Amino acid sequence: MPAPTVGQAPSLNTFLKSLKGTEIETSIELLISLLKRRQIKNSRPCAIATAKLLLQVVAEQRWRSAQDLIKRIRDVGRKLVAAQPREMAVGNIVRRVLGVVREVAEEDQDSTSNIAPESLPGSPAIVGQSLHRPALPSNISGFSPLSHGAALPQNVQTQPQSGTSSPSLDGSVDSPPRRPPMPNAGGSYAGAAPHTSLFGIFQHPQGASPIGTPPIGSGTASPIPKSKKDQEEQKEKLDIKAEVIDGIKDLLEELDIVDKQIAESALDHIHSNEIILTHTSSQTVQAFLTAAARKRKFTVIHVEAYPNDHESTHSTIVNGGQKTGDDAEGDERWKPLTAMGIKVIVIPDSAVFALMSRMNKVILAPHTVLANGSLIAAAGASTIAQAAKVHHVPVVVLSGVYKLSPVYPFDTDEMIEYGDPGKVIPYQDGEFMDKVDVVNPVYDFVDAELVDLYITNLGGHAPSYLYRIVADHYRTEDIDLTSKT
Amino acid sequence: MSEQQKPAEAPQGEQKLSPAELKKRAKAEKQARRAAQKGEQGGPSQDNAPPNGEPKGQKPSGAPGPAQQKPKVEKQPQKGAHKPSEQDSKKQGTAQQTTMPVRNRRASQSGGGAPREQAKKQENKNVELFSHLYTQPRRQTIEGAPKDVHPSVLALGLQISSYEICGSTARCVAMLNAFKDAILEYNTPAGASLARHLTSHYLSPQIDYLKSCRPISESMGNAIRWLKKLIVEIDPNLPDHEAKNYVCDQIDRFIQERITVADQAIATSASSQIKNGSVVLTYAKSSIVEKTILQSHANGTQFRVIVLDSRPLFEGKNLATRLMHAGLQVEYFPFSGIARAMSDATLVLLGAHSMLSNGRLQSRIGTASIAMAAHRADVPVIVCCESVKFSGKVALDSIVINEVAPSEELLLPPSKTAPTPVKTDDDEEEVKLRGLQDWKEIPNLQILNLMYDVTPAEYIRMVICEYGSVPPSSVPVVHRLVNEGM
Repeated sequence: MPAPTVGQAPSLNTFLKSLKGTEIETSIELLISLLKRRQIKNSRPCAIATAKLLLQVVAEQRWRSAQDLIKRIRDVGRKLVAAQPREMAVGNIVRRVLGVVREVAEEDQDSTSNIAPESLPGSPAIVGQSLHRPALPSNISGFSPLSHGAALPQNVQTQPQSGTSSPSLDGSVDSPPRRPPMPNAGGSYAGAAPHTSLFGIFQHPQGASPIGTPPIGSGTASPIPKSKKDQEEQKEKLDIKAEVIDGIKDLLEELDIVDKQIAESALDHIHSNEIILTHTSSQTVQAFLTAAARKRKFTVIHVEAYPNDHESTHSTIVNGGQKTGDDAEGDERWKPLTAMGIKVIVIPDSAVFALMSRMNKVILAPHTVLANGSLIAAAGASTIAQAAKVHHVPVVVLSGVYKLSPVYPFDTDEMIEYGDPGKVIPYQDGEFMDKVDVVNPVYDFVDAELVDLYITNLGGHAPSYLYRIVADHYRTEDIDLTSKT
Repeated sequence: MSEQQKPAEAPQGEQKLSPAELKKRAKAEKQARRAAQKGEQGGPSQDNAPPNGEPKGQKPSGAPGPAQQKPKVEKQPQKGAHKPSEQDSKKQGTAQQTTMPVRNRRASQSGGGAPREQAKKQENKNVELFSHLYTQPRRQTIEGAPKDVHPSVLALGLQISSYEICGSTARCVAMLNAFKDAILEYNTPAGASLARHLTSHYLSPQIDYLKSCRPISESMGNAIRWLKKLIVEIDPNLPDHEAKNYVCDQIDRFIQERITVADQAIATSASSQIKNGSVVLTYAKSSIVEKTILQSHANGTQFRVIVLDSRPLFEGKNLATRLMHAGLQVEYFPFSGIARAMSDATLVLLGAHSMLSNGRLQSRIGTASIAMAAHRADVPVIVCCESVKFSGKVALDSIVINEVAPSEELLLPPSKTAPTPVKTDDDEEEVKLRGLQDWKEIPNLQILNLMYDVTPAEYIRMVICEYGSVPPSSVPVVHRLVNEGM
């Protein structure tokens, strides 16, 4: 793997700089290696890097069909996700971009032919619905109506159906470009609708094998509209690239302003003279508190998150947003809270329970938010959330939508990453290191029941509502990226 | 909640002080006044530093206390010189700054804070909520110790204040041994009886000295109470040396009975709770938990130990090292790894600083979090505690009864990844990146280093003391029987 630039530790900034002149494959490899080496870490840098890389990928060449583009993005995305599966922001961004592409493709289709939905009457109900799905709210402004939340459950329903179809059909339908195997037959129609290849494939089974299962076999009306569509689609295709690029730029802009958007609601949640407990250093939380500090006086108890994040925590407390050297975080700078007249009290992690009875609010920043409202955050967060629950102190989680991952926590242990034990015990302590298992978990899983409120750039939500937002932002067919098509 | 938030109400807080605390405070103030006087003779010139040298940005306008005093700042610049916080006085060592923190606190409200550059540093760094816990600074030197303090006690005081002797039991034993030394060298003055004179005139200064090094623990308090009672009850006609020998023998017996044997009994009883295949989780370091684990290991039980540890004392590392040398399988987690550690544990063994009469456990800060996590994970929590640590006090939270350690203990040596040299890339802000080490110069920044917290009784399955295994609700019963009913 090529080192990005000489003389500087590779980071988000160096990666972004190198992105322009470099060949796309090299850039992909570079990002993969940076992710693997944890030289780009934390949700935001990962998200930005991924989005910028995908932008290059899309701009790389002319795309003959949206299907090709989706395939390409999926391939790149799969590699990136495999490089660092625990940085779920990477996968989230890939899914968002895929969503953009699908949306663009569908818009084209909708505008060119309204027949499409009816064209597959026999196929599962989803097809119709997904096609009608309105624009993916890449800008967040568009909140989709209820019906779209239904995508997830429906997908589950369709799986049995695909099972009933003959194996041969399945095999041919699952052509690599379009779709992950998990949401088998049903889900894939939706995304792939506009494409020639897809429809061609569907026709095949119909014609070739009379065994075709009832749903598919009954789609007799489809062939004609499809071919019509194909022609029109090719004309529209030229626009796809530009539109997708716009979509990704919107996404980048969202990443850029997400803190500001979240901070806008600060005054709705923080009142004067409050005592607020927060944990580790997070740009989002700092922006939120800073916004409130402009108007109100309160006290912040800052838990330092030893041993993984205490240095950045201390530096955030003392220096605010001034980062040293080429830090991977963005260029944003902000004044430390203390300079705004906010009293900040630093405590070690162990003092959380002792102080919790006097707190008014706990504000946490997640690493990733899962679809059921639970979250992954820096180690120590679950203790804080539990203590808050015990003392009936509300726990508020500030998270950009990009941290929202469509993953359900079936196995929470595997989402926890383990860090360098040298941060706990110096390696000079040879014997100790040798004989004692020193374990340094980096993340904690915080259950949804411990969280009282999520504040995202869309506003405030109950944890139980998050699955809706997930459904609004990710296509069912994109949820499983890791599978080999 | 409002009290803690509104600095203006601090005086109210004062009223709530117990008589004992008031007495302590009065004493501290007297000492402070004396020190201040002495100081003024030494270096009054410092007061003449140029006023108004203070950049306005640096005024701690956010902190309510300082905000109040702001108007007066210009009027009485000189007064401010007497209001440094305890830590400052220690650090800067200028003579007139030796004011005691308590006094400092009150004075700062009556208006003060020098407009000098230095004044900024003298912003009160004590956390409002815990203002009742900031008494005198811990004594770190024997300088200024009362003359009649015995050398053994002097040495012990320093060992205690530097955590060389740490842990409630260890401190108690060490104190009794030092008192033995002291008592052996005691001579009853003519015209006084040992029973009347020893405690009040000889032992009290020793105790006060120890208290000035670090607030005494519950076990020490119980032992002192026992000792005083013992001395008072000595037959006045007993010859001096016999009486002294008697006291020393009794002290030995006390240590033997209440601590050594008690520990063995507890270890035996608690080690039976460790079964083959158990995963024992413990926090920080408790001598009695260590004994229990070692005993169980010696019994041939196969089990694993998880040690959780926390800043700033890292006591758990000592425990882990010892267990490692004993050949046990040990895992070591930082405090943030509770959730992960708890998922493996089958038993939580905790030591105690003190068991309070409402069944709550006062122990090293962080213990409550561990117990809470264990409770949530349905892992039984067992507290091992000698009855000498049982206390008549009650507490609902960790705030009223606690100990605040110097904040400096929480500072880390600057590491490689810490802020690198001065980076002045923008002309507008020529602020160099500071580290937490500079916390004193940063207005509104405070560091809180608490020593203990209080674990709710419902998290505790069982308390093992030398009288058997009891539920936390039985703590007051045992306490009355053993510590008061003797």
